[in-house]
Order: sequence, then structure tokens, then C-alpha cells
Amino acid sequence: MRALREALWAQGFIELEPPVLVRGPALEANLEPVRAGDAYLHTSPEFALKRALAAGLPRIFAIVPCFRGEEHGAHHGAEFTMLELYLSNANYLDLIDVVEGLVGQAASAVGVTTPTFRRVTVAQLFGGDIPENDDDFYRQWVERIDPALAAPTWVLDYPSRQAALAEIRGPVAERLELYMGGLELGNGFSELGDGEELRARFAESAGQRVRMGREPHPVDEGVIEATSRLPRCAGIAIGVDRLVMALTGARDIRDVRVPR
Amino acid sequence: MAYETSEFRNGLKVEIEGNPYSIVYFQFVKPGKGTAFTRTKLKNLLTGAVIERTYRTGEILAEADVEEQPMQFLYEQQGTYTFMNTESYEQVEIPGNVLGDDKVFLMENLEVSVLFYKSRAVNVTLPNFIESKVAWTEPAVKGNTSNNITKAAKLECGAELQVPIFIKEGDLLKVDTREGGAYVSRL
Repeated sequence: MRALREALWAQGFIELEPPVLVRGPALEANLEPVRAGDAYLHTSPEFALKRALAAGLPRIFAIVPCFRGEEHGAHHGAEFTMLELYLSNANYLDLIDVVEGLVGQAASAVGVTTPTFRRVTVAQLFGGDIPENDDDFYRQWVERIDPALAAPTWVLDYPSRQAALAEIRGPVAERLELYMGGLELGNGFSELGDGEELRARFAESAGQRVRMGREPHPVDEGVIEATSRLPRCAGIAIGVDRLVMALTGARDIRDVRVPR
Repeated sequence: MAYETSEFRNGLKVEIEGNPYSIVYFQFVKPGKGTAFTRTKLKNLLTGAVIERTYRTGEILAEADVEEQPMQFLYEQQGTYTFMNTESYEQVEIPGNVLGDDKVFLMENLEVSVLFYKSRAVNVTLPNFIESKVAWTEPAVKGNTSNNITKAAKLECGAELQVPIFIKEGDLLKVDTREGGAYVSRL
């Protein structure tokens, strides 16, 4: 934690403490938030940090507890620690250098060799044949592709329908994911800068939630407004617990957290 | 009874495509921004083969109609093996092919565990270790004292195995049944 913070401070990132209790918990249909009274515990600090970016802070980060109301297991805790950072005047590929630097710092802090990362696109992983529907996509991902991602890897260019909050360029979303030690450590975007497009994605997610028999996520009007004012920027969220697992070889997320 | 993915546990007996399986491994996985799945390894209770399957969260597997009963071996007649439930004293006849190579270890009163699938005996689990006397073995070769040298022997229960050179006919041996009959020690 200290290595991560010091590395970010040294690069001119400002640390923020975003609110944990929020009205709009998420965009993605497959995220399950935890309710807290008439609000929610945030699933990531993304919406709050985007308000700060829109207000003019160029390089920011937060290391915060996040909450997910889904099933839990060796790689999923109800509460986990997330490092989220944003860079202005940058696209998703600019995140790679920053994050590789951070992982290197964290690796030396725990006394392991700095990993080297390969880069591969989603299309390459599927051998050029990306399944048309998300069900097939995720099933093949879980059965065939994810188990082969043991070496430290950047996965680039997701299908545009899986853009979440990323900018879309032709058929692909400018989105990347970091894999290490067989774990998915992080997800980053060239951040979407169009508020109306974001509104449309909220509507699409709400439709999916209804079809899944779940309550749609409340729309966060503040983040829609902030999105329209964003500079060109990129951001990434990294699971700190999983990063520690990948570096130390721990196999269960509970082994790297203080017991509750 | 049926089980949803969130109820999966190791040892749970489920039915897939008409075969009973036991869950030997399960893990919740959720690819970034994607739907959740449970990755499993399942052991076929009839063949012992292990398969890997991935289930979407919320998918349901039927409970397998299986039951394990403690039983005692009584006798064999014309390739049919008779066992008795040690609690209900009920007797059941099991064809030799269900026992496979394990039948050489059967001795009167040996306690085993019998797995029933839809009321039919489909598998017999022996104790990990049995004790049996040496019925026949080659005499020791004089002058050969190396510990690594073994010789063939046949036990009273019927099993044939390799034993150390110092073993004599009439010795009581402890044998590991899991490796097709491996010598453990002389008692």
C-alpha cells in the first residue's frame, strides 16, 4: 500500500477520498450493489472521481474499500480494496506504463521480481472469432480463455457492446484488462466523454437488469453531467487484494485481508 | 431436491445426463463486466472419471438418488457377491463386475461401504488397508540381503503382490488396497 501510494505521489497524482455512500452505485448490469438505508455502498469510486476530473484535477487516485453484493469465493470478497486512478490527456494505452511502474514498485516492496507483461487483443484470444452474443462470449471466456491467462498479460480492445464506460472506436471499445497469476487485476478505459451516450448506456443497462429480473441501477445525473465536461482521459481500477495475491502467491482473498 | 450454483459444495451428489456425480471442486468466477459462473470438477460415481463443467449462476442440478450403506462381505457364489448391511442386517447380492479388481481383497466379514444409485449397488469402497496372511511365497534366496529386492506372494484373500524377501508363508501382512495391493508392513 505504501509502495503504491509513494509511487503515485512521486508522479504528481493527488489522492482523493471519495464518498462511499452513494445514490448511483454502478452502470454495469452484472454488478450487484449493497444497499445501505435509502442509498448504496459504492461498487467503485468511478463516478465520484469523474466529478473531480471534470472539475479540473488532471491526475488523481483513490485507494478505498468497495462493496459487491454478489456471490463470494476465493477471488471475490463482499468488501475489497480498490485502487482507481485517472490520467488526463491520455488514452487507455497510456495507462499501461503507469500501472506496470506501480506493479514493479509493489513487487520490489514485497521482494519479488518485477513481472514483464505481454499484450494481446480479445480478437487474438478468440482466434479472430469473437462470439456474437455475450452468453457464449463469457462461457468461452471462463472455460477456455481465462484459464490460459496465467502469465502477466494486458488484454486489449473488447467488443463495443462490452464498452461499459469506455470510448468506442469502430468495432472495439478502448478498454483493457490486466491479468496476473491467473487473476483479473484491473480494468481500464479511454474514458467516455459524451454524457448523452452515457445516458443511453444507463438505459441499456436498465433494460438488461429488468430482463434479468433485477432492479435497475438508479441513474447518477451528476456523472452524466460530469462526463460531458471531462478532458480526454483514461482511468483504471485495480483490485489491491488480488494484486497482493498475485505477488505473494496467496490463493484466497481472505488470506490477504484483516479478518472481519 | 435440486441444487442451485450458490449451494454447490464439495461432496454434493448431483445427477448430470443420467449419471451420478460428486462435486470435487467448485469456484465462483466472474469475468470483468461479465456474467457470473461456477467452475466445477465432478467425479462420476460409476466410472470414477472426473469431468469439468461450467455453470452459469442460477443454473440448477438435480440431486443424485444415491445412498451409501455400511456393509459386511459374507460369501461369493458363482461370481455373485453377497453383502449384509451392518445396521439393518439386510442382504444384497452384487455382481462381480461392480467390484472389478477389488474382489481379490474380499474376506469374510470385511467391512466395506456400498454406494447405491437408484437402489442399485454401483460401487464398493474397500477399507484403505486390509490384513491377510501369506498363503504362498517363493522361499528367500540365500545370501541376497538387499532391501530393494522383492518377490511374488499370494495372500489368503486371493490378492497377489510383491513383498520383501524376508516374508514367509503364514506371515500376517498389512496391505494398501488403493494401489491395487501394495505391501505396507508385516504384523
